[in-house]
Amino acid sequence: MKSKKYIINTLLGMFFATTLFIVGCSSTQDVALAKSGAQLWGENCVRCHNAPSPTAFSDIQWETIGQHMRIRANLTAQQTDKVVEFLKMAN
Amino acid sequence: MSKVLKYTLMLLVIFFISETLFAQDEEDFEDEDGVEELTRQVNNFKPGLSRFLMRGYAHAGIEFLQDRTTFVGGSFNPIFLWQQSERLLFESELEIELTEEGTELGLDYADMSYFLNDYITVRLGKFLLPFGTFGERLHPRWINRLPSNPLGFSHDGQVGPISDIGVEVRGALNISHHAWMNYSLYVVNGPRLNSGEVEAEEGGQLHYVNYLDNNKSKTFGGRIGILPLHDNSLEIGFSGQYGKVGIADTKYEDVGSQLYAIDLSYVTRLDFMKSMLDVKGQWNSVRVDDISYPDPEDALQNYTFENISNAYYGQISSKPAFINNSFFNKLEFVGRYSKLELPSQAVWGGEDTQITIGINYWLDWRTVIKFAYQTLDSNGEDDGHSALAQGDAFLLHWSIGF
Repeated sequence: MKSKKYIINTLLGMFFATTLFIVGCSSTQDVALAKSGAQLWGENCVRCHNAPSPTAFSDIQWETIGQHMRIRANLTAQQTDKVVEFLKMAN
Repeated sequence: MSKVLKYTLMLLVIFFISETLFAQDEEDFEDEDGVEELTRQVNNFKPGLSRFLMRGYAHAGIEFLQDRTTFVGGSFNPIFLWQQSERLLFESELEIELTEEGTELGLDYADMSYFLNDYITVRLGKFLLPFGTFGERLHPRWINRLPSNPLGFSHDGQVGPISDIGVEVRGALNISHHAWMNYSLYVVNGPRLNSGEVEAEEGGQLHYVNYLDNNKSKTFGGRIGILPLHDNSLEIGFSGQYGKVGIADTKYEDVGSQLYAIDLSYVTRLDFMKSMLDVKGQWNSVRVDDISYPDPEDALQNYTFENISNAYYGQISSKPAFINNSFFNKLEFVGRYSKLELPSQAVWGGEDTQITIGINYWLDWRTVIKFAYQTLDSNGEDDGHSALAQGDAFLLHWSIGF
């Protein structure tokens, strides 16, 4: 029973590691580069909550919120920067 | 006479020209002073790299339950964000809540994140675990579309962790032109097993409050989320967590636990309904290795059972945000099915089923009034594992995010 458990755990660990390796070696062309900040804002914010109004916070506050949301929503740096720039521009 | 007049006029012209030039110099001088003053004032307001921001959410409401009608809430969750630099962020959330015993103060999370590069972030401290998405992303009152949590996704009859102390690596990467994935790998203290030696009726339960670990073993876990569609509308996540949960130097020392979760999120625009459609779901499963626990009905005997718990929910909501009516485009219709399955042979086992339907009215993008009707059916020795009593309930809540 124990050996079965360790085999399952090992296979799952290998799955995680292999996936990360494959992804790390794949094309570095960022999909986010092709999308505008407005598009990323519309697509990613609504995955959890309503899209925020750009006027809800100041430009400086958006920068801090951007960092917070980069962690919470697992965004890349480029995606985050584009969304924050859009919110600051539309503010 | 004409000469005198001519010289006089020339002197007057020279006088006026010099006066004008002098006045202009003075104005220039004053302008320079003004610019310097303005520059000084602007510099005083330069934000610097260190920034502090308080956000959070709060809620209150009234609940019409089978055996009582009660006002609830008054809870307040401030979130503190301290941006130390472009690479370092500290985040913390407190939970200030009114209970029967008085005002309770809890620390939901307190962690620092270091952005190593564009794709890797390291977190350290007490953080929300990416075990599925409900605990990490969807639990705040203004984000949760219903006034209650799904069964097994709150502290009553909890199946699966919400937060823990440890270290985590997370980030996001592209896997093709259309798809990207996010990942998280972490090492934490992990849950602790209730051996039942003190509270026999709770033997075999996992407790997710383990701030000082009860053994030397650490718990490993992670989540991979795949977003396969070009518009990021669909996310499917797989989570796992493994570790020993027994107290050191007891017969429970080598008891292990295996936890799994699958989550789904699909958010899209339905043009024919002029609405947004939001589908969410998550399935949590917790398995603890077989071992015997003190029998609550006979202190001299032990008993054992297959220690597997499951909790899952499916939720669908629709908001007619694109219709041309300022009242109806703020409405949202929600339905959720939720089930909790605890080991049937354990004294704390049983099954609960919850069905909730609700209507929300959004005052703005982060302020909502939620009205819901909920049924809860229990099948087990315990009278339900939710904070809500069995039977029907009407829930009216107001939530704000800030």
